[in-house]
Amino acid sequence: MKRARKTRPSLEAAHDKWGWFFVAPAILYFSIFSFYPILYAFWMSLTNKKLLSLKPPTFVGFANYQKVLSSSDFWDSLKNTLEFTVGAFVPLFILSLAFALLISSRKRFQRALQMALYSPAVLSSVVAALIWLIIFDPRGLANAAANALMGTSGKDYMWLSSTSMVKVSTVIVYVWKYVGYFTILFVTGIGKIPASVVEASIIDGANARQRMLRITLPLLRPTTVLVSVMILIFCLKTFSTQYLFTQKGASLRAVNVVTLNIYQTAFRDQNLPQAGVMSILLFILMLVLSYAQLRASRGEEEQL
Amino acid sequence: MKRTLSAILLAALAASALAAQAPTIPALKGKKVQLTLWTHEDANRMPLEKGYIAEFTAANPGVTVNYVTYPTDKIRDLTTTAFAANQGPDIFNLQISDAYPFMANGRVAPIDFKMTAYKDVKDLESKYLPGTLAPVIEKGKAYGLPLELTNYCLYLNKKIFRDAGLDPDKDYPKTWEDVMAVSEKIVQRNGEIITRRGFDFRYGVEPLICWVPMVEQLGGELISKDGKAIVGDDAWLKVLTYVRDFGPAGKNLGSPTYTAARKVFDLNKNEIAMSLSGLYQEARIIKSNPEFYNSKDWMVIPYPQWKDAAKRVPNNFYGHYYVVNAQSSKLAQQASWALVNYMLSHGEAYLQKVAIVQPSKSLMESKTFKEMPYSDVFAKDMSAAHVVYYGASSTKIDALLKEAFESVMLAGGPSPKEALERLRKSVTEVLASE
Repeated sequence: MKRARKTRPSLEAAHDKWGWFFVAPAILYFSIFSFYPILYAFWMSLTNKKLLSLKPPTFVGFANYQKVLSSSDFWDSLKNTLEFTVGAFVPLFILSLAFALLISSRKRFQRALQMALYSPAVLSSVVAALIWLIIFDPRGLANAAANALMGTSGKDYMWLSSTSMVKVSTVIVYVWKYVGYFTILFVTGIGKIPASVVEASIIDGANARQRMLRITLPLLRPTTVLVSVMILIFCLKTFSTQYLFTQKGASLRAVNVVTLNIYQTAFRDQNLPQAGVMSILLFILMLVLSYAQLRASRGEEEQL
Repeated sequence: MKRTLSAILLAALAASALAAQAPTIPALKGKKVQLTLWTHEDANRMPLEKGYIAEFTAANPGVTVNYVTYPTDKIRDLTTTAFAANQGPDIFNLQISDAYPFMANGRVAPIDFKMTAYKDVKDLESKYLPGTLAPVIEKGKAYGLPLELTNYCLYLNKKIFRDAGLDPDKDYPKTWEDVMAVSEKIVQRNGEIITRRGFDFRYGVEPLICWVPMVEQLGGELISKDGKAIVGDDAWLKVLTYVRDFGPAGKNLGSPTYTAARKVFDLNKNEIAMSLSGLYQEARIIKSNPEFYNSKDWMVIPYPQWKDAAKRVPNNFYGHYYVVNAQSSKLAQQASWALVNYMLSHGEAYLQKVAIVQPSKSLMESKTFKEMPYSDVFAKDMSAAHVVYYGASSTKIDALLKEAFESVMLAGGPSPKEALERLRKSVTEVLASE
């Protein structure tokens, strides 16, 4: 008995050691490329460092937080980010789930469909935005297609030159780019649903609609939570499309999301501390929203 | 006969070799130094400068140069990032309103006159047109040598004018009111979509150059002598209203979302009749469309004025100066100034091959300059112009102007009055934080 007590902790310790050994590279990687920059950004946000200045920074406490939180520019960009997130989240989630259900229900061309949907995700965001800039040119494909669809002639839908349409345009680009990526995640989740459960429901006489609503969707919940949190974080971090569109004439004020504001504040205005403040606030926002989403989904699981 | 021919050939080769001989710099003898030079993309300038670098490194074998070009709209951010990490290039150039913050933060080294053809600041100033070095001279020290000084005039496509029933020699626009009226005659649309523009502004990164002179003509100011921002509401409102009326929310004559006017102009595909650009555009037309360049179907006219202008203000000129990183080693700084001095000593070649103007007195008086088509139009405008605004926050002010002018053009954008108030508030805040 005594022997057994002595052996068990040592075995656990041995397991722990190997566990630490395997996760060490990941911890090291995240420490260097994620945790250190976060801590550095936080430290910078408490100073008066100017990007090009050679003078050592002075500690100013939370003065930069006060400045950013009282700036209408920051609140405008936060509003733009939230508008974009809501605008892109809903179609991204619904379309990727719908495509995943469609692909999973098919017996043929599954791979071809997945590849076709996934291909835009392989493109760099800059290339994707450049392609769409050509499409959204007043004489480009977007106006031609919209005119054909709406039965109009020569109407300029102002994809980039209207403050409201440019918001729609950025959402279109984002959904087009990432719908394939999230579809693949859903397809993987659907593939993990035990075939025996589906077969049992068929024997019990469930039709396709019932199988989807009673079997697939409830059992897909872990993937649904993962995808929704990922979409949320992706949307809050959107940058390239807005950056390139504003470089080519779109209104900055309409699509000045927080990430773009951070970039402009740091590199154009050379105000590293205020850019740091916005980065920290965005990080906190992401953390809070993701946590709330996870809590909400756990609550639903417990109710089931 | 063969001997004579060979002798002539040898003599010609020797002469060309002599002509291409860069000086050997005593301070660099027997020393090894690697330089990095960053500049904006210019297809005509790149081969020329690479040639000079090859000549310089041949005469100074210890020197190696990494010549890197970046797109014009990217180089400012890339240079800022590099300097923030203390990894800036040894030599670089930016438009003066973007370069000045580097000077203001002590990132640029003063000229080492021993490495140049000039004795001191006074001697340097005496070789250039008055005022053209002012942006790079501070407290008796000079920090840059001018690569180019540019002002914009109006390039005009005569064929499109004739096609619209206008006589380019008589009907060319003299005032901003004319520009609007002529544009309305020339514009062609498919429904609301413009297929041919009469004129369009330069959008993007140059609002200080493009919009501010229009305001100054009406008596307005960006920043007054006593430091007040956005002075002369009537002038600002008139220009903002004009720009709004010009755009898609008004008469729909042009917009920042169409392809840049100067690029379309060079192609001569009946897409635009007038475009703002500098003398350098001539070299770009030759490169992209030599047939159009030789057709005599284009001409250059002075920068328009308002009918009721309070004073004549041509387009503000901007400068690109080659500057040297103050954090580079002493040896790298010496080599950098020697190289920059060597490259820029070929002002006429820059003018002939790139059509950019170094504002030296000798070049402006040269036959080469005078024989450049329409150089007199540019020179006359420049003689009455002043340099664009530059200051510690000029990059930010430039961006605020861009937002104000471009946003009033767009559907759903602010009214000119709202845009003006927002601009004044933002610029005042920026100046206060300096």
